[in-house]
Amino acid sequence: MLQKLVTRNNITIQGTGSKSMFLVHGYGCDQNMWRFITPQFKEDYRIILIDLVGSGKSDENAYDYDKYSSLEGYADDIIEICDALNTKDVCFVGHSVSAMIGTLAAIKKPTLFKKLIMIGPSPRYINDSDYFGGFSQNDIDDLMETIDSNYLGWSSAMAPVIMGNAERPELAAELEQSFCQNNPEIAKHFAKVTFQGDNRIDLKKLTTDTLVIQSKEDAIASVKVGQYVHENIANSKLAIVETTGHCPHLSGPNQTIEAMKKYLI
Amino acid sequence: MNYKIDYKELYNTSPSGYFCSLPNGTIVDSNKKFLELTNYAREEVIGKKNFTDFLSLGGKIYFENVYTPALKLSGTIEEINFNFVKKDGTTFPVLVNSVEVKDMEGIHLFTQSAVFNISQRKKYEQELLIAKNKAKDLSNQLQEVNKELLSRAELILKQKLELEEFNQHLESKNRQLSSFAHIASHNLRAPVSNLVALKNFYNEDIGLEDKAMLFSKVELVIEHLNETLNELIESVKIQGNKDIIHDPINFDVVFDKTLAILDTQILISKAVITSNFSEAPTITYPKLYIESIVLNLLSNSLRYSAPGRIARIHFCTEVHNNEILLIAKDNGLGIDLKKHGHKLFGLNNTFHRHPDSKGVGLFMTKTQIESVGGKITVESEVNKGTTFKIILKKNRK
Repeated sequence: MLQKLVTRNNITIQGTGSKSMFLVHGYGCDQNMWRFITPQFKEDYRIILIDLVGSGKSDENAYDYDKYSSLEGYADDIIEICDALNTKDVCFVGHSVSAMIGTLAAIKKPTLFKKLIMIGPSPRYINDSDYFGGFSQNDIDDLMETIDSNYLGWSSAMAPVIMGNAERPELAAELEQSFCQNNPEIAKHFAKVTFQGDNRIDLKKLTTDTLVIQSKEDAIASVKVGQYVHENIANSKLAIVETTGHCPHLSGPNQTIEAMKKYLI
Repeated sequence: MNYKIDYKELYNTSPSGYFCSLPNGTIVDSNKKFLELTNYAREEVIGKKNFTDFLSLGGKIYFENVYTPALKLSGTIEEINFNFVKKDGTTFPVLVNSVEVKDMEGIHLFTQSAVFNISQRKKYEQELLIAKNKAKDLSNQLQEVNKELLSRAELILKQKLELEEFNQHLESKNRQLSSFAHIASHNLRAPVSNLVALKNFYNEDIGLEDKAMLFSKVELVIEHLNETLNELIESVKIQGNKDIIHDPINFDVVFDKTLAILDTQILISKAVITSNFSEAPTITYPKLYIESIVLNLLSNSLRYSAPGRIARIHFCTEVHNNEILLIAKDNGLGIDLKKHGHKLFGLNNTFHRHPDSKGVGLFMTKTQIESVGGKITVESEVNKGTTFKIILKKNRK
């Protein structure tokens, strides 16, 4: 059973510790997003990394368009993995859409996580009457086109990009890496589900102890959205970090780690 | 050879757009081509614009979620398709290659990007896409048409088979009809001619005694004619009864029943009767027919047993080529097939002047057998014995 999940979600486990830290990437890439964060927690935590089904090195054949037409499908996978790994005292770290996936999992099984850290979360991306998500339907359509057009440039055989990089010797061992190269059809479907979703009502149902890490300048999930999330989760804190961009754990790992450590003591 | 290369000039006049940005996206340098492509003046861009300012909101999502992480993780990225926004708000498609420039400690200092305008390429791509979709549609249509054709072909084949079956049915009916016509004309002709002759005799000048004798002859012929007609009518009925119910038959059961019916004759004849139906113990067959066939064959064997030797009669079933055969063998008088073979299964034929012989049975038996799709054949040697072989039907329980 566990082996099946390991294959399905490309589960990797590092570090030691009685407590676990379960980090899940957001839309676009895979578990490699966490490579600047995990070294800092390896000594105190058993670190669990996965690729969402359809992303990274997960089992593409397991991508069921019906199951994953809602974030609940991914939430079920999270619960399944925690059960199989027999986790106790878990800190869940979810970036972007995975913050919502973690929320749904926690609502379904409230004892699942001890703590929940959201990085750049957004419960809804498209603007709505007096809610500012940041985007119009047109903008999302534009995104779909961009995903499409970057597919056109790639053959459907999807050969992995060989990134041999002399200036990055730590990558030399990993010559054949395909960062963020996910099956374009699945990428499009996942984008639709992510950017056209609405999980605002789920925020209020979340009872888990939560930290929202918000990048100071984020065009995808703006400070306004971060504040909205914090205000709608009863048991939550908000940490605005001095980083730019939607992936502070990549562009400003030190600030992100600092915010996390401060919260976790 | 030393060429005087002014790198700055080369950079500036390059046919592709270059720009250099800080890790946070602020553009700190660009070449002339980039400014031309985007329609900006230098002072509007350097230190003022961010990479993301040239992207639409949709493009920004892609930038944040795919381009930036990939670049961060591997240090370079190539062939990313964006729509860049010019000063006037219009867009044009580009391919972007970027590389991180780092210092000795690996700190990310700048990102170098090259931008290629692919407006023409894009048009071609879109035409290709349209053509591809059209081809896909056509292919789907063709598949539909093909499916339709296949199903029609199947239908035609089915109808052809039905027609063939019907044709065979008609042929069989035709054969029955002509056989009936033949039998009728042949078997009715003789008795009626007899009657005519007797009538003529009767009308001649003859005495009362002679008339009485003639009339008794007439009676005989009428009886014979009546039987013949009945048999013909019966055979027509059998031939017409295509949908007769097939019952589950156990040969041992039928044979024992027949032995019981002929109990007296068997005792009198002291015949030794054996059977072995183990090769095909059961069959699905019209009950009336099989009982009639077995009764007829057994009673014939008893009747035509050779005086002077013990009658040995053996009934059995065999399976050959998926067909079930019923075999009736005796060591009786036998039949001269050369003389009588062709009349053997005819109506009203007797070939032994035996007091009890009626010969009616074999005609009926043959009719019954053939109406179910079987066949009867005979092997015989005079004074040695006779074997009847009946192909009952294709092996169906």
